[in-house]
Amino acid sequence: MSSSTETFDQISPSEFFYRNRDLAGFSNPTRSLYTAVREFIENSLDACDQKGILPDVHLSIKAVDPEKPDPKPYILTVKDNGPGIESKHVALAFGTVLYGSKFGLKQARGMFGLGATMAILYGQITTNKPVVVKSSTDGQIQDEYELLLDIQKNKPITLKHETKEVSKTGLSISIRLEGDYSKAGSKIRDYVYQTSLITPYATITFDDPKGEKFRYTKIVRTMPPPPTIIRPHPYGIDVETIKRMTVDSKFQIPTVDNKMIDKVRSELGLRKKDLNYKGILERAKKRWSSLSRQVRVVIALMSFLKMDFDKLNKIRIDDIDVSNQKLTYWDFGESQSISVDMDPESDYYKQLTNTVQGETLTSFLTKRFQRVGRTTAEKFANFANFKPEKRIGTMTNQELVKLSDSLQKFTAFLSPDPRCLAALGELPLEKGMRNFFNPDFLAVVQRGASAYSGFPFIIEMGIAYGGQIPAGGPKTFRFANRIPLLYDEGSDVVLKVVNETDWGRYKVKNDPPLVIVSHICSTRIPYKTVGKENVADRPEIERELRLALQFLSRKLSSYMSKKGQAEMQKKRANLYSKYIPLVARFSTELAGKKKEPNYQKMLKEISVIEAEEIIN
Amino acid sequence: MKPKKSLTKTSEEKRKFLAQILKNTGTKIYDELDNGQFPKFSVPSRSVSNIVYDKKLRQYILGTNVSVRSSRNMSQLRSFTQLMWLAFFANRLVNEKKSSTLRDIYYSSQAFEVDFEDQPESDNIIVDLEAVLTRPREDLHIFPEERSSVFGDLTIEYTVPGYEGRRSNLSDHPDGYLIGPSLSSAELVDTSAELVIAVEKGGLFTRFVEEKVHKKFKAIIVDTAGQAPRSTRFLLKRLHDELGLPVVILTDGDVYGEHIAMVIKSGSANAAHLRELTVPDALWLGVWATDIEKYKLPTIPMTETDIKRISDLQKDPRYQEGNWKKQLEVFKKIKRKAELEAFSKYGLTNITDKYLPEKLELAKSL
Repeated sequence: MSSSTETFDQISPSEFFYRNRDLAGFSNPTRSLYTAVREFIENSLDACDQKGILPDVHLSIKAVDPEKPDPKPYILTVKDNGPGIESKHVALAFGTVLYGSKFGLKQARGMFGLGATMAILYGQITTNKPVVVKSSTDGQIQDEYELLLDIQKNKPITLKHETKEVSKTGLSISIRLEGDYSKAGSKIRDYVYQTSLITPYATITFDDPKGEKFRYTKIVRTMPPPPTIIRPHPYGIDVETIKRMTVDSKFQIPTVDNKMIDKVRSELGLRKKDLNYKGILERAKKRWSSLSRQVRVVIALMSFLKMDFDKLNKIRIDDIDVSNQKLTYWDFGESQSISVDMDPESDYYKQLTNTVQGETLTSFLTKRFQRVGRTTAEKFANFANFKPEKRIGTMTNQELVKLSDSLQKFTAFLSPDPRCLAALGELPLEKGMRNFFNPDFLAVVQRGASAYSGFPFIIEMGIAYGGQIPAGGPKTFRFANRIPLLYDEGSDVVLKVVNETDWGRYKVKNDPPLVIVSHICSTRIPYKTVGKENVADRPEIERELRLALQFLSRKLSSYMSKKGQAEMQKKRANLYSKYIPLVARFSTELAGKKKEPNYQKMLKEISVIEAEEIIN
Repeated sequence: MKPKKSLTKTSEEKRKFLAQILKNTGTKIYDELDNGQFPKFSVPSRSVSNIVYDKKLRQYILGTNVSVRSSRNMSQLRSFTQLMWLAFFANRLVNEKKSSTLRDIYYSSQAFEVDFEDQPESDNIIVDLEAVLTRPREDLHIFPEERSSVFGDLTIEYTVPGYEGRRSNLSDHPDGYLIGPSLSSAELVDTSAELVIAVEKGGLFTRFVEEKVHKKFKAIIVDTAGQAPRSTRFLLKRLHDELGLPVVILTDGDVYGEHIAMVIKSGSANAAHLRELTVPDALWLGVWATDIEKYKLPTIPMTETDIKRISDLQKDPRYQEGNWKKQLEVFKKIKRKAELEAFSKYGLTNITDKYLPEKLELAKSL
């Protein structure tokens, strides 16, 4: 047997994405150009949203050689007035895959900032040109980087770094990439148009390769309140997440070294002063609430060891045996192992137990999840057949599975907290739609927060009729977390709800000049496919969509009947003033008269007839 | 033969009479408008439920149901105006001695801001006006496009403008004379004929002219071109009433032929609102169902539609007795039909040499 050593090389994230770029939307020049535009614009808008800056985003696409046929290299530049990225992070943020700041449970357009890096990677693969990043965080100095990505090592290579003076903060990213604008153009223009519609507080401009300029200036100057990062809801949790949560609910016993002792000293304000062990404990008691967890643990240890800082310096903690209430340490001076008893009644003992075995179930639930109070937590423990004081850290794998299952089954949890959602708001939506469609009739609604499988969501919807809207509708604009969903309409839940509406019931006739704007906000949009263009029909979401549409349709219906009455009145008046004079003229000749009969007063009577007919 | 003092009026009298009716109608509406009232017409209902068979008159007539068309009612305003316009336009035609066709009426409306959706709509309004005035559209100088022909020794005198007083003899032209507006309004002056033969088909009409049927049988020959148009039926009636000529009818040997004869004799449901279009004494000579066997005519089988038509007619009160009833029954039994041309099996002149004389002889006893 020949000796062959099989090596399992760990591949870098860059390498992984390089090999699987189709998944991220970079499968061909058309799709890649579109995806790159999306990623950069969404990054810019997200960055501005987070800092409460009204976004000005400028997109430009230029062909490197306009004469060449598509597909060909393009220069794609997106520039914003956002907070920028600190100079020291630039290289890592744009030169590595999976380096980002967007972790945590709140609504954002994209996740992890991954897509932008993918776009850069794609550009580099197809044109072998660096990305140019210009960033200013203080509005005075701008750092300009030219970066390449070392795919195997997942590390940035900085080709150039310059600084210059500027007057505004913001970020500009420019890449060269192989694209096909003749095919992707309409999709990109639709995307820019619809993004502006759902982001009325942003100015978005687009200079396209053919020299066309698209300008969408901000319509409102107030931003929706930014979403807050919140704790997860019990319904949205799986075993894997619970495991991760229990791990970081248990703390390692800190190594008590010089560095740690310095930390304890500084938190107690004893940097330059020595106290004996009793003095230290008294001081710690006074400052307890301001102490960090690690320091509290050290103080607890000191309470059992009865040592001051000097002595503490000469030992190593070996074991904390909670069940036998023994604390074991190695004394460097004596060169031996020593055990001391711990008093289980002492507060310090509880502190140590918490640290080693994790929190109790009730404390875990109330502290680590949203909207779970003490009573609910205890009811849950009873429901799941756990003791409320059961320590999370002591749970076996099986118990964790049982815990996770029970969390899904327990029905008494409050519905998820919608503060992590960033809906647009009725007023900005209304203003945006009015500006975009200039309709005769407009109504918008924001439904209350609701939830599906532990993920909160909010439906916003607007309906516009007539005015400058062309006939042939209803036309539906779909948005999810302020991103336009442009394609794969067929199986989308919004389209399903719109198509199932019997418009005749709302006095809307065939091919109406009707526009519907639907916005689903959620911490997790249930997309049907990886393409993220259509939303699956979760019953909770479908119900909310239906209620929103019904509410708006009823408003439209009452507008339509008023309009219908007005039109009927007008039509009636027109009919009489068209036909009665004809009848008069014909009868004059028939009767052999010269002068026409006086029929003017009859035309005035028409309103009387209407009143009669309404009564009948 | 000189015409008798006719039951019907002369063209000129008729024209003046109509002009007066139209003027009265116009005056009524003028006055209503002037008084601030919304004018209206009473239109006899032409719905099926209001069409009844009058045994005394021997034709279909309208019952007593009347619907009001008011200019006050928004849904009737348009058709009221159309009706008014038609009266106005007919008045011009009558006064200026001009004629028009159904199609021409439809197109003329456009010049007066009166809109008809299509010709059927305007045709329908014309029938409404006939019903309101109880005068046929021909009196209003409105004619259908389709025309049938007449041939024979009959002298007429035109009354149409430009031809007033001019005379023609209807045997002058071997193709026959079109039964159009000018012929319809002409005075019937003189004839040597003793009989009118109406035939269903142009082909046979030409054969009859060639075979000098008009001389052999002292006859005026009329081509009805299928179901006889009103102007043709009106001419037949005048030939009968004014000149005292008996009218006989020759049709194909099928259920449609039988009904063509019936309509000449006693009118159609479509024209139930009109009188003076029927010749109750007219005789159907053939081809009868019984002739098919008797003369051993070549036949073709009936279609299902043909048979259904027989069943429909069997419900008609006019087919409840005599020869009319009998022939339908035989048709239904043999389920075969024969064309007039079938006689050419026995030679081209067989129909005029043999069949017609025999039938005319038989007719005397009918």
